[in-house]
Amino acid sequence: MTTMSMSRLGPDRLKELTLAATIFLSLVVFGLLIEGYFSGRFFNRVTLGVAIVAVVAAGQSLVILTRNIDLSVGSIVGVSAYVTGQQLGNHPEANVVVAIALAIAIGAILGLINGLLVAVARIPSIIVTLGTLAIYRTVLIAYGDAKTITADTLPSWLVNLPKSTLFSIGDYDLRFMFALAIGVVIALQIAFGRLRVGRRLYALGSNPDAAHQAGLSINRLTVLAFVGCGALAGLGGFLFLARFGTITVTAGQGLELQAIAAAVVGGVSTLGGAGTLVGSLFGALLIEVLNQSLVRLPALSEFWRDAVLGLLILIAVILDAVLARRFNPGRPRILAGTSAPGREPGSAQAITETGGTATGGAATGGAP
Amino acid sequence: MTGRARPVISENRRWELLLLTILVVTVIFNVMQSTNYLGINNFINLFELSVEKIIVAVVMAFVIVCGEIDLSVASIMGVGACVVAVLHDSTSVPFTLAILIAVGVGGLAGLLQGWCSATLGVPSLVVTLAGLIGFRGLARILVEDRSIGDFPEWFDSLGQSGVIGPLPFSVIVFFVAILFGGVVLGRTGLGRRAYVIGDNAEMARYSGIDVVGYKIRLFAVSGAVAAFAGVLFAARLGSVRGDVASGFELDIITMVLLGGVSIFGGTGSMLGVFTSILIVLNLRNGLGLANVEANTQTGIIGVILIASVVLRNAFARFDTSSLDTQAPPHHEPAVTNHDLTTANP
Amino acid sequence: MYIHVRTHTNVHGLTTTGDLAVTIRTPTDAGLVQPVLSLRGVTKRFGATTALSSVGIDLLAGEVHTLVGENGAGKSTLIKVITGLHQPDEGEILVDGSPTQLSSTSDAQSLGIAAIYQEPMIFPELSVAENIFISHQNRGRIVNWRRMYADAGEILASLDMAINPRIPASQLTVGGQQAVEIAKAISLDVRVLIMDEPTASLSAHEVERLFEQVARLRERGVAVLFISHRLDEVFRISDRITVFRDGQHISTLPVDDVTQEQLVRDMVGRDVDEFFGRQQTPSSEEPSEPKPAAAALKVEGLSVNGAFEDVTFELRAGEILGFAGLVGAGRTDIALALFGITPADRGSIEVFGNEASIHKPADALGHGIAYLSEDRRQLGLSMPQSIIANITLPSLARYRSRSGLLRTAEERAVAERFRQQLQIKAASLDTPVGNLSGGNQQKTMLAKWLNTEPRILILDEPTRGIDVGAKADVHHHIDELARQGMAVILISSDLPEVMAMSDRIAVMREGRLVGIHDSASIDSETIMRAAVAA
Repeated sequence: MTTMSMSRLGPDRLKELTLAATIFLSLVVFGLLIEGYFSGRFFNRVTLGVAIVAVVAAGQSLVILTRNIDLSVGSIVGVSAYVTGQQLGNHPEANVVVAIALAIAIGAILGLINGLLVAVARIPSIIVTLGTLAIYRTVLIAYGDAKTITADTLPSWLVNLPKSTLFSIGDYDLRFMFALAIGVVIALQIAFGRLRVGRRLYALGSNPDAAHQAGLSINRLTVLAFVGCGALAGLGGFLFLARFGTITVTAGQGLELQAIAAAVVGGVSTLGGAGTLVGSLFGALLIEVLNQSLVRLPALSEFWRDAVLGLLILIAVILDAVLARRFNPGRPRILAGTSAPGREPGSAQAITETGGTATGGAATGGAP
Repeated sequence: MTGRARPVISENRRWELLLLTILVVTVIFNVMQSTNYLGINNFINLFELSVEKIIVAVVMAFVIVCGEIDLSVASIMGVGACVVAVLHDSTSVPFTLAILIAVGVGGLAGLLQGWCSATLGVPSLVVTLAGLIGFRGLARILVEDRSIGDFPEWFDSLGQSGVIGPLPFSVIVFFVAILFGGVVLGRTGLGRRAYVIGDNAEMARYSGIDVVGYKIRLFAVSGAVAAFAGVLFAARLGSVRGDVASGFELDIITMVLLGGVSIFGGTGSMLGVFTSILIVLNLRNGLGLANVEANTQTGIIGVILIASVVLRNAFARFDTSSLDTQAPPHHEPAVTNHDLTTANP
Repeated sequence: MYIHVRTHTNVHGLTTTGDLAVTIRTPTDAGLVQPVLSLRGVTKRFGATTALSSVGIDLLAGEVHTLVGENGAGKSTLIKVITGLHQPDEGEILVDGSPTQLSSTSDAQSLGIAAIYQEPMIFPELSVAENIFISHQNRGRIVNWRRMYADAGEILASLDMAINPRIPASQLTVGGQQAVEIAKAISLDVRVLIMDEPTASLSAHEVERLFEQVARLRERGVAVLFISHRLDEVFRISDRITVFRDGQHISTLPVDDVTQEQLVRDMVGRDVDEFFGRQQTPSSEEPSEPKPAAAALKVEGLSVNGAFEDVTFELRAGEILGFAGLVGAGRTDIALALFGITPADRGSIEVFGNEASIHKPADALGHGIAYLSEDRRQLGLSMPQSIIANITLPSLARYRSRSGLLRTAEERAVAERFRQQLQIKAASLDTPVGNLSGGNQQKTMLAKWLNTEPRILILDEPTRGIDVGAKADVHHHIDELARQGMAVILISSDLPEVMAMSDRIAVMREGRLVGIHDSASIDSETIMRAAVAA
């Protein structure tokens, strides 16, 4: 049975492997199509570009895991980048740790507002964050008074940060920003696999009703996911500031779409409860590779970017839906017809016959 | 317009009353802001500036009542506008045919999304998010960084001058769209099915309703209407760029949700949507007269969006306080984002 | 009555009892023993309705205490009070004799009170082991995967459950998922376990397994509060039985001191035959009645992969064909195939002599086939919609006027007719069906399908979860329909119901139709044997 071999690997691991293979394959294909594709410059551009999105996407994944969504991360990145940049301009003596802490704190506070509105005021996250997407941006515009933060007001360590390299192999540099992003995501991933609170986030997304029954504090977990998302978006804001140096009040606009795209392409299930942060990292990488490669194909103009990105998301979610249906035999067959594979709390799941005797009894096993 | 054999009538009614009160307050606020406000020109202006959003909002009401959402409408509006512009600019296709083609393209775009969501069971939020990005990309591919204008005179005038007396085309379109949408939603089988599908799609299927077909068709209509709205928008602007109408989805969805249509599907009325549209327009208009910047206006709309749901939740809690012991109404679990989870509740 | 005084050791949050238990025999007098949990004069109101009116109940260690009552008797509210979801307006809750506040589920949980519901509350994506330990507070903030799998394996083994703790819970059947919930309760060192209709979705085989588990829990000294509508189960498993009616405590008696008749009387407050009992009127007795020329429904070699195989039968007009068998035997799957929800992969369906190809419910409705689902909450009715809207839903096209608008007056008239005919009790026809009692919902659902004017009516568990009085009503209506010439398929896990109502009985086993018998010439044991025999 395919399901048995599946369970040994776990659907999440399988998704990660598939993504890694896809990234590798697209590299090979582009390498064949484009002359001088594997240059150090290309590598550095991709890794630098992916750092921001990867961090924000990891945060987004936390929220999506709990069956929510955060559309406001682009605005959070903007606020965090802008305010941090301004403060660094006023206090050039501040060091990198303080700057990062400030950026993260700003993001966490904005995430906290989202989380409280979702968990305590019981407003669907799409509405809350659609609202705060606009509100945070407006607040930033009012606060910034349409002034632009320029690189010459920033301390020099920050301006040089994108270029700072941990080590190089030939032309290929491992940039500090990339290492930081990757390190944060992987550390979080490990933590979430080992920490009780991480597993509880998965449980919450997997079945909110059961989580409530099990006495898990749903409100606290939901708020936590949003705070985590905000904090990571705040970190993204710092990276944004470092990379671009020039920050207008529209900084980070549209980043929410890229972050959601990376999470979804990375296999974080929009039905909640499944997917990993490393997956979202791979998702971000794949998108960035395609972005940076497609423009170098002579046949395509830069205007193709969005269209390709949209298509990529579509393919990813379709794959996810098809896989979810195939690898969840415990879900009732009759629900598979129209709907998102019978995931609703208190669904018909228990009552409908689970289709035939092939599965019946096997699980309780060992019965005469 | 508000349907009779529908549940939670009292709740809907109270919501509509609240909206009317808010509307009156905003009107009074506006009158105090500026004497220009009551002028007929300002009144017409009110609708003209938003008619595209309004007709899309009418269809969006159906989509959300059905328990789905369409985030791609603004991008499809862009596609509609760009298709017309490109066909006019670089081919000899007659202009009316170009409009038809644009609407057709929009319909196809919606059809594709509907198919992905309904048959494959991918939440519409995600599919149309992909659409939001992808179709905007399509608009950009078509127009690139150009700005195309120079449309036929009659087309430009469509968005700009009066058709019946002083009433411009857009105002007429607004009332026709709302009235038509209201009757269909409240008084026909099509509307009734939308409510049932939004409440429980699987149960609707067990009642012989072709849920998949209904949703696919609804998304196709949503796409076609959005494309048409995009064409109207182009007529009003007189020229088209790749980012035309971008970001409109926020206003459109706000209009519908503020109107009392539940994001979880299954409830709401067109009267509520009508009132909330007037509120949003009034606010924008009044804030504009008061010299509040467009960006700040958007922020205020965001606040209203959240506030409206907080209020509505408070209403609902009020209702359930006298609940029946054996059939407690479904409490929304603390966390659900039904858009993500429930293509079907 | 056995009372177990437990001395237990706690290893990794895992209780081991068994050999350590000291068994003391006491007279069946609850007054002498300290109950684990008692409710005294508990009253709970919701607005104007009083859900519980000064009720009391004692749960003793090592007893299975069954609570019965019609829908609306207050059972669910009682559960919610005990599990801390609701707080009583008056009265007190005593745990080990001392008054206690249960202000949340985690309060109840920390006192060793847990509940298992009809639909298992599991996390499908998470492993079995994680499902067991997810709410444990004492396992530290860091997950030790190896130890967790080992502990889960140990608990499952101690319960004689052959479940791999590493697989995702979504791969288990409903019975398996319930077993995991029992394991979870055990791991939480549960002292009071509430089981709310746990057998409703289980096959007979799984019910047996569940009862074995319940017996083990009793041995461990757990107080089990068991809730079920199936009286045969109640008599099999209980030590004591408590009856609630209209939010009031009616009686609590040891199982040996109570008869089925008395129980039913207590539940409804009057004498009721549990089954309407169809007068067997096969055509032979009334030769004057013209026999239909062709069978109403002729099914040949029908198969749905993975559900049922090669099913062949005929159904005459005016006949009730009962389908008996275990849950999962494929009975509902046949209904779903006939109704076009999961179209058949092979075989033919003939309706009144015409070949019918059924790919979607609309096709089935076109042939005059209606299907009343077993799951009225999820698949039967739209709860927030009015009675009218629900009744006319499948036949909406009929109420469309030439202008396209719905003829609402006509809808109302039709609904009013059904309300009188089926005696649907509701404040108004505009009442959302979610506010009706189970029995009235079931009648509304019946009206919904009768309004499609079916020639063939498939009834799937038409009396599940409704009270005894409403059940008799529904039986009466089914009988009436058959008399008027409707062909009826009756699927029911309630064997006495099938026996009493059907003209012929088809028995299903593991996706195959193993025989069709005249109900007059077969007894329930023969049917049961055919349904389970290998």
